[in-house]
Order: sequence, then C-alpha cells, then structure tokens
Amino acid sequence: MIRDIGFLEILKTNPGTSVQDLGRIGLGHWGVPISGVMDQRSFEWINHLLKNKPNAAILEILQPGFKCRFDSYTTIGLSGAKAEIRKNGELTSFNLIKIVPGDELEIGKFLSGSIVYLGISQGFQIEVILSSRSNYPKITKRGMLSKGDKVPFFTTQSLAEETFASVRLKTTWFEESILEVYPGPDFESLSNDNKTQLLNSKFTISTLANRMAFQLEELLPNSIPERLTAPVFPGTVQLTSGGKLLILMRDAQVTGGYPRILQLTEGSLDILAQKKPSQQVKFQLKKFD
Amino acid sequence: MRPSLRQIGSNLIELYWDEKPNDLLLQHILSWELAIALQLGTEVLEIRKGFQTLTCMLRSDLNPDSQRRWKALLQSNINALPLPEKVWEIPVCYDQELGKDLNALSKSKSISFEDVINLHTIPIYRIHFFGFLPGFMYLNGLDPALHFPRKSVPDRKIEPGSVAIGGAQTGIYPNESPGGWHVIGKTPTILFDQNENPPVFAKPGERIKFLSISLEEFYCLSKDSKPLKSND
Repeated sequence: MIRDIGFLEILKTNPGTSVQDLGRIGLGHWGVPISGVMDQRSFEWINHLLKNKPNAAILEILQPGFKCRFDSYTTIGLSGAKAEIRKNGELTSFNLIKIVPGDELEIGKFLSGSIVYLGISQGFQIEVILSSRSNYPKITKRGMLSKGDKVPFFTTQSLAEETFASVRLKTTWFEESILEVYPGPDFESLSNDNKTQLLNSKFTISTLANRMAFQLEELLPNSIPERLTAPVFPGTVQLTSGGKLLILMRDAQVTGGYPRILQLTEGSLDILAQKKPSQQVKFQLKKFD
Repeated sequence: MRPSLRQIGSNLIELYWDEKPNDLLLQHILSWELAIALQLGTEVLEIRKGFQTLTCMLRSDLNPDSQRRWKALLQSNINALPLPEKVWEIPVCYDQELGKDLNALSKSKSISFEDVINLHTIPIYRIHFFGFLPGFMYLNGLDPALHFPRKSVPDRKIEPGSVAIGGAQTGIYPNESPGGWHVIGKTPTILFDQNENPPVFAKPGERIKFLSISLEEFYCLSKDSKPLKSND
C-alpha cells in the first residue's frame, strides 16, 4: 500500500498542544520520563473509534483557541473534554469527522473537562525518538507545538462514517471528584492528624498544574524530613517540608527527594488530568489485597 | 543486607534498604537489579533506582500469585557482585565565566577558588543512578568541605553541561533546566544524546573523575564534545 503523507497545519494555538502516545516506557533508569497522554482513557477511546493501533499518536490540546487546516483526505476523531468544535465554521457534535483537503477545524470553549484529544486515522507520524512520538522538551525537538507547525499523517479516503459516539462513552466519568489512592512508602510516617486531614478533606487544584505536576492549594503541615532521592512515577503524591502537596503527572521526573505519601490509581490519574484549577478532589484510600 | 519489600501502587513494588548510601549498598542494589531482571524480568516494564531503593513498575497489577513470586525471590540469597572498575574522565572548566556561583560559594565557605577546584577534582565519584533529568547522574563522594545548601530560590535557567553543588551532592546538568544548585563550572561533554542507544555513556556503579581545564580548552573541546577517556 502506498501511503501518502498529508499535513495538519496549526493556524492558531495556545500553549500546551503536543503530540502524544503512551510515552517512553522502560527508560526511567536513564532518567527519561514516561511522558505520554495525560488521560489514557480518552486516548484509548479515540484510537478505538478510529480503528487505530493502541499506541497511535494523537494531538493533546490543553487550551481552547485551537485552529488547524488539513491538506489531505483523512478521518479524525475527538475525545476527552467536551468542547465547541467547528468544522469550516459550523458547529459539529460528531466524534468522527471526515476530512477533505482544505478543511479547517476549530476547538473553542471547553464545556467540561480540560483536555481535548484529536486523533487521526493511523495516528500522527512525527519521528519516533527513544521508542515514542511524545513531545517532551529536550528529547524531541520541541516540547510543544505552535502556530505554523505542520504535523504529518498518512492520508486516507477511509470509509468511516461520521458518527456521534458519545452515547457509548459518557464523559461524566471525569466529573468524579474522588481519587482512589494507595498508601505511598512514607504514608505511615504521617501523624494521625495529617492522615485525617489528608483523607477527610477536600483539596483544590491550584493554577500550578501542568504536564509535570498538579499542585494542590491546601497545605498539610508536617514534620516528615526529606528523603534520600528515590523513584517517583506519574500519580505519586509528594509532600514538601512546607506542606505543599504535589501530584506528579506524566512528564514528571523519574526520581525525587520529597516524601511519597500516596500513589494514585491509573483511573484516578485520568480523572485528575481532566480537572481544571479551582476544582476540588478528595482522596480515598485503597488497601493492597 | 537483605532488603524489605513493599508494594507502593497497584503495579509498583519496591525493595528498600535502611542503610546509608555507600559502595556496598550500591553493590547490593545492582546485584538485586540483575537478579530481578533474570528471574522476574518478564513481569517488569521498568526498574528505577534511588539511593536506598529499587522500584519496579510491573506489566500488570500485583496479584497473590505474583506477590508470592516476589516474596520468594526476596528470600533467595543474592551474591553481591563487585562494582565495575571503569572511570570516566570529564573535563570541566572552573572559570567564573562558566561557573556563575563559584565566587559566592568560595566566599561564603572561605575556601579559595583553587581549593574548591582541588576539593572537587580529587575524589573519584561513584554513579549511583540516573534521575531528575534525562542523563543526570547521581554521584556519591563529594568532599564534606564542599557541602553547601541548595538555593532557597532556584535559578530559572541552568545551562546544559553546568557542574554544580547542591547540599551533599554534586552533578552535571545534561539539559537546560531550572535548578537550585550552585554552578561552579561547565563541561563541554555531552551527557545525554537522545539519538543514541543507550543515550548515556556511563552506567551506574562506574565512576567519574573531573579534570580541570582552561577556558581555551573548554571552547576547543566544545567543537567536538565527545572525547571521553576511561581507564580501559
């Protein structure tokens, strides 16, 4: 099969648009973060709808105000945050959209959730570096995409029909405010008061929330000393000596020195990824079997 | 020096040693890492190291069966293998032009530039693991005379190749990054190359020796930043 290359050209974007797949797994021992999509659930869903391979690269869009143009035939898919989507200026609520050369797509206001995923038939085809296409500063040429960038894909006049698939995946799952967590290695070093506060109060997502970590607004005054540097993972909750709670996200560094008090489940990490600053979450402790 | 085993996530399991980091502990950590790779390697996606920990990210969530296998492995006797002999020589220019914080560190500790350089280039440092940034080596062996608390307000931008001191540690920033360590010099050597496999030249357990070079030599070596000598 001859596969011609088409391009998506970014006409407008705010910071925080990147190409992502499931990330760089197995390279942490060289200090390489996993990266990859913040919300794996929405990622898997869109690749499923597009009948793509499970690791096909998508565009992750963290802010409204995105506009792009396609120069070739393809089918695209949208998932994640519910947003105002316009194709050639007209509102559309389809999840799968057929594209002809010259079509423009605009992502406006986010109605719920905080990340829109734009998948494409067979995935975006940027260079694989260290086993992944995920943008990450210093490993890929750029950490984020900007206006004028052209992202390659394989053009296809696929037969897929435009469909409205949200009946099959309600997005209400990310409106959940309970985050399931396991006790981290330093959980038992917390005082009883700390534990009660941690597990019985609500925490607010601060504006310091990015692909590396989400910081919470409320403090947890504590007397746990800093630890010798140890591995951390996406979903690790660190507690600083100043009482700040940091929930590490997909671009998190691979090691850290702050006490590791909780570890989010994968499902909770997806929920958190779709939260915005000022939204609240509550931790619910799970026990190991 | 048997580690304890703890689960820290649905698919995260950690071996932990309540010991001070030193060569012997590192020998144990590296030997256990090898044993895990050989015996339970098919279950493991990624093994990461810390100073006292070996953490495994597993392909699937732990269940009673896999827990039994991990517990059994922990009961076995692992011989601590000797550490590698290899020493990498890394040229560093300790000039104020490149080591922005050299002056402040020297003044505040009342150690002359010359002595800072001597104290920093005499030891042979042991690489314990990579972390923090891609290709950042955690080194053990900084002379206590050079221990210096991290900056309370981190610098927004530390240049790649910067050689720095933070607390009881010294290290080299492979990439541009914000950072709270005090920069005392700079190396022209590239520490992380994402187009190479592996992207780093050294391995945990091997050693690093810093060689003081002049500003001229620094600019000369910057044109060809790969000359690294090792002792074999």
